[in-house]
Amino acid sequence: MALDLDKIRSEFPILERKLPNGKQLVYFDNAATSQKPKCVISAMSNYYEQYNSNAHRANHTLADEATTALEMARKNIANFFGTNPDQLIYTSGATEAINLVAFSWARQNLSKDDIVVLTEMEHHADIVPWQQLSKEIGIEVRYVPIDTETFSLDMDAFSVAVSGASLVCVVHTSNVLGVRNPIEEIIQLSHSSGAKVLLDCAQGAPHEKISFDVMDADFVAISAHKMAGPTGIGCLLVKKSIMEKMAPFMTGGSMIRTVTTEGSTFQEGHAMFETGTPRIAEAIGWGAAVEWLDKFEMTDIHSHVQELASWTAGEMRKIPGIRIYGNPEDREGSGAVSFLHDSIQSLDLALFLDEGGFAVRTGHHCAQPLMDALNVPSTNRISFWIYNTMDEAKMFIEYLNYVVERFS
Amino acid sequence: MTSENDWPDSLIPIIEEFKDCFDSMDRYELLFDYAKKHPTPLPPSKWTESNQIVGCQSRAHVECNLDEDGNFIMKGGADAQIVQGLMAITAIAVNGLSPTRVSQLSPEYANVMGIQSSLTPSRANGFLNMFKRIQEEATKLS
Repeated sequence: MALDLDKIRSEFPILERKLPNGKQLVYFDNAATSQKPKCVISAMSNYYEQYNSNAHRANHTLADEATTALEMARKNIANFFGTNPDQLIYTSGATEAINLVAFSWARQNLSKDDIVVLTEMEHHADIVPWQQLSKEIGIEVRYVPIDTETFSLDMDAFSVAVSGASLVCVVHTSNVLGVRNPIEEIIQLSHSSGAKVLLDCAQGAPHEKISFDVMDADFVAISAHKMAGPTGIGCLLVKKSIMEKMAPFMTGGSMIRTVTTEGSTFQEGHAMFETGTPRIAEAIGWGAAVEWLDKFEMTDIHSHVQELASWTAGEMRKIPGIRIYGNPEDREGSGAVSFLHDSIQSLDLALFLDEGGFAVRTGHHCAQPLMDALNVPSTNRISFWIYNTMDEAKMFIEYLNYVVERFS
Repeated sequence: MTSENDWPDSLIPIIEEFKDCFDSMDRYELLFDYAKKHPTPLPPSKWTESNQIVGCQSRAHVECNLDEDGNFIMKGGADAQIVQGLMAITAIAVNGLSPTRVSQLSPEYANVMGIQSSLTPSRANGFLNMFKRIQEEATKLS
């Protein structure tokens, strides 16, 4: 069903904003973070205005309301991701979720000579924790290369790399290329080899319904802020049977059962990993975000984004000197379009686009190994979401043509 | 620090040239022109880790020395033309000054020229990092 873009845009006050130079904002940096609808902002404001209190630790009315809202959000978010709230651990985002696996599961269950498989497409958040673990306990880290012609994972190499592996960590959808990896095949091959699977779904979750129980990954890392939720919160979805084999990551308040001068005992389940005061307002905001997203079919959002990305990429390919990295016309991708111009450096181009009102990303996108594989230092990237319009895409193409004509 | 009335003589006509620009895109175009006129460029073959400016999204490198008369000379190179243009203008401004005077120069001239965004640290485009590096080198050479 077609999205009612006028109605959707009216729910995002920031999209009306004009920049200091008077230009109308066109927000094309959604792969970095999405904008937030009024209902998310209101839900968080309402918490602070009406029932701000610490959760899980008092008997007064406000604390009860805050606790109920926090746990109701967990239930709604878990339901959105097709699983049980007992399998959802709140984190600060996907980065902390991956670190949680590295600290709480891998340090307990892996040892020297265990093999962890990564890909060249990974975000630094899914590389550095494993490099650190390799330094500490001697695990072997293997990287699956990408085919730089098709911008896809080399699945033949994956089949070899997964042999003997204990853990496979793969990005669901590349933040740079917008490429959606064959995760079903990856999960099947990994499990057949006896490896657990960690999926980085930070980019996938805003574009595709992530159904944790159906997809059968062992761990899934998600950030709220890329899918209409607030910054500072995300989650690790983890199978209950695996959560039982994890040790605490951080220790302190909330996660304990008893503390004496001789020692401590810990809570069970997700509570063991949620130390200190929870991110109450953020969880409530994320709960409101998934409730808002649930009004749409994710396939409709994906189709809309794909239409914009496909048209824009096609027009960009006509502009002299532009090279696109990835396959934005691919129906499965996230709609991120990474590109470079052969004579206008990416930082210069980003500043020119900003002058035109277009918020785009430039840099290595926290994916330096991928930049090395592509043999580029950085790229520019535009990325669309639910509220972007074809008029914005057309304005972008017109302005990009103007910039290229003037500065190349 | 220098005030607006105390810029190096070589900088004053450049500031006036930028003030005459119609808009930001004109100023960027002028920066592109200056990028090609760097008086003491540092070619990519001499870009090293030790002369790289940290905290810049583009690759940017500077080397600072004294000439035989004890005057400051800054060589610089960057892959982004806007950064290279700012480097060129900075080199025109500081080359031939005493290192003490360079260490007291204010980066405010970029703002006066209307390149405000270059002075926003969060843009990480390197101008302020470059300027800080030059002043540190000037202080060492004083």
